Amino acid sequence: MVRLIATSTKGENMLHIKKEGSGLMAKLRLLVVAVLAIGLVASATPSNAAQKAPKQIRILYATAEANSAAVQAALPSFKAKTGVQLVMDTMPYNALQTKVFAEFAVKSSYYDIVIVDTPWSPALAQNLEPLSGYMTNASLNNLAPLNPADFIPKVFYDTAVYNVKNPSLHYPKPTATVDPAAIKKAGFDVYGLPIQANALALAYRKDLFNNAAQKAAFKKVAGRELTVPKTLDEFTEVAEFFTQPDKKLYGTTLMAGTGDWSTDDFKTLLAAFGGDGYMIGNNQELNFNSAAGVKALTYYRNLIKSGFTPPGTTSASWDEVATMFNSGLTAMTMNYHDLKLDASIAGGEIGYAKVPAGNSEGPHFGTWMLSVNKYSKNKEWGYRAAQWLTSAAQSTAMLQKGIHPARNSVYTAAGKLSDPNLAAYYKTLKQALAVGAGRPRLTNYGEVNAVIFTMVNNVATGKLEPKPALAAAAVEVTKVLASAGYKVP
Amino acid sequence: MQNEVAEIDVASTTGGLKLARKNSGPAPLKQKKHSNRIFWLQMSPALLILLLMTIAPAIFLITKSLTNDSLLNSTSDFVGLQNYQAILTDTSLLHSARVTAIFVVLAVLIEMVFGLFLAQFLYQKSRANSVAGALLIIPFAVAPAVAAMIFRELLNPNYGWINYFMGLVGLPANVDWLGNPLTAWSALLFLDVWQWTPFVTLILIAGMSSLPPEPLEAASVDGANAWQIFRHVSFRLLAPFIGIALVLRTIQAFKTFDSFLILTGGGPGDATSPINLEIYRVALQSFRVGYASAMAILLLIMTSILTPVLLRILGRATQTEVEK
Repeated sequence: MVRLIATSTKGENMLHIKKEGSGLMAKLRLLVVAVLAIGLVASATPSNAAQKAPKQIRILYATAEANSAAVQAALPSFKAKTGVQLVMDTMPYNALQTKVFAEFAVKSSYYDIVIVDTPWSPALAQNLEPLSGYMTNASLNNLAPLNPADFIPKVFYDTAVYNVKNPSLHYPKPTATVDPAAIKKAGFDVYGLPIQANALALAYRKDLFNNAAQKAAFKKVAGRELTVPKTLDEFTEVAEFFTQPDKKLYGTTLMAGTGDWSTDDFKTLLAAFGGDGYMIGNNQELNFNSAAGVKALTYYRNLIKSGFTPPGTTSASWDEVATMFNSGLTAMTMNYHDLKLDASIAGGEIGYAKVPAGNSEGPHFGTWMLSVNKYSKNKEWGYRAAQWLTSAAQSTAMLQKGIHPARNSVYTAAGKLSDPNLAAYYKTLKQALAVGAGRPRLTNYGEVNAVIFTMVNNVATGKLEPKPALAAAAVEVTKVLASAGYKVP
Repeated sequence: MQNEVAEIDVASTTGGLKLARKNSGPAPLKQKKHSNRIFWLQMSPALLILLLMTIAPAIFLITKSLTNDSLLNSTSDFVGLQNYQAILTDTSLLHSARVTAIFVVLAVLIEMVFGLFLAQFLYQKSRANSVAGALLIIPFAVAPAVAAMIFRELLNPNYGWINYFMGLVGLPANVDWLGNPLTAWSALLFLDVWQWTPFVTLILIAGMSSLPPEPLEAASVDGANAWQIFRHVSFRLLAPFIGIALVLRTIQAFKTFDSFLILTGGGPGDATSPINLEIYRVALQSFRVGYASAMAILLLIMTSILTPVLLRILGRATQTEVEK
């Protein structure tokens, strides 16, 4: 901005010089034109000349939700490489959300890099530095190769690509190879770099599925081999088979408690039954209130009603279902991370697979990204640090600490991990991320989400029937969206 | 000073002790003006702090509640009473207000009854009562969030202690406490009563310790039994302390948030979703400051109306006792 004003002022001076007319003046004019041209180019894209290195770059980060331990371990290497210290403050989810919004509300420059979760992005996008210009500037990508095409397209577009004029829009080509120039051309920009990609995946007790007695028993009952369920029908059949409450064993967990998690279960099933896994469209169409929505909720309710899930399912969160599975209470589970059976379960082994599909699929996914604070005084170095932390080399190094990468090449490296359990998990995670469905882009997603998870829980507990529950939720969501200024078609 | 008569109005309708000073003749005008000036001069620091700490934020909150302000929006438009209209016609918010009211009434009522009952036994000075008094501090010294997390673990249907011990005595051992509205409500109330009854008890113990022994002894000599002494003498004299405990607990109960968020998350469905949880979602998840301010103002009005009403009811009850 300052440069443009200076340009204008200098331009007027230049005209004045021209009127006087002389050889020296002509040379001076050329010099001024050259300076102006450089200035204009510099103002259009981030500076080619490296910004002076600051002493430190401050990062505001999550805790276990985005695997802070893995990122923390990488920080000293950045200082060794560049001399710039990365200082990271971490906060648990709710406190972090409040802190992030409060920082941007006062346009604080304190943090140079801020971690952003996908539900927050539509409200925050205008406060995040657009990065396409940085990504195409070679001098800002010299700490590690950027290689944007390496990012899993669905993850990258869902997480980081926004049209700031209309943040409700998703990128129209979610499976196209990532190319910052093409993104810019389509009227979008990049507002962060993915660092922790979470997706719902199926975990199962490999030892039970491979047990000869269980296999024989299943064949006798089902008339087919016991295999890891790929379809929802198979999932029900296997869940029923393993359910033996007298032996403290149930088929599967579900995250049906009141919270974000039950919305995630619902939207995964919604996509599996052929509905829109995002639930609400780019123009606020309420796609969850559909025939697929009724099927998804009916299926969900029936699994619980049939007793194939353990007691406490209708109040369970993602954390509690992990405990249920890890302690050997269920044969299968669906969760956002890898799991570890308790040491007391002799011979226990875990296998992973994509969540069962119906006539289509779209497991819930959501990714954290590192964004550069628009008000930071060290934006270039903020970008360089974020780019380095999310590079293939650093993501690969973080694998041992369980980071969920967003790059294809890192998943190739993950296949060679010495821990077979982790390697198997990464293989499934990559498959889930490639087909996942994210969240609708709304500035008040938290409120909409509360209506939906309340509805899902009401159906799960048997208080409401699926169809009227969806209809009532649609009315409520319409009101909530209207209160935030949206017009529902 | 000779012609001034001080009168203590013990049977105050506010439930507290009211001191009324009646003068037989007016003071000279100059002297009155002077003393008024000194009064305001002495009061001004306290009034200034009060203004800065309570009145100014309240005015700010009211102003915000008349706008569509959002934390990250640079523009903020005046919308009049639109936010209030939206809240008062929103059925889910009205449901949340009902949940809050039911919780406050039930929790405070149970705590007052239990607190009074415990105080009867613990107010006399003895070594055992001193130990009990010290132990009473523990529940309300625990952070509400921590208490809620511990209760959630205890109530876990698969691994919790409650179901385990129920199983040992032959009761159903797989009760999903938080998956059923009735049991979820019971859990919330039990947690609140466990945590806050000691607070009421301690206030009432302090009150009982300060009561003059003569009326109690007189009632005893007149042949009143324990219940009659409690009902007609102790309760009457304790009214100011009961009033304090009632008002403090009511205001605190209205503000309860952690246990709802952590223990039930408002569920099952929205069966235990109080107004505070709704304010939290609007204010700290969507950051719609204008709308959340209007919700907070309505909650403030509810508590502001309720406090004098409670005191009046308590005062009337004790007045009736005296008249009997």
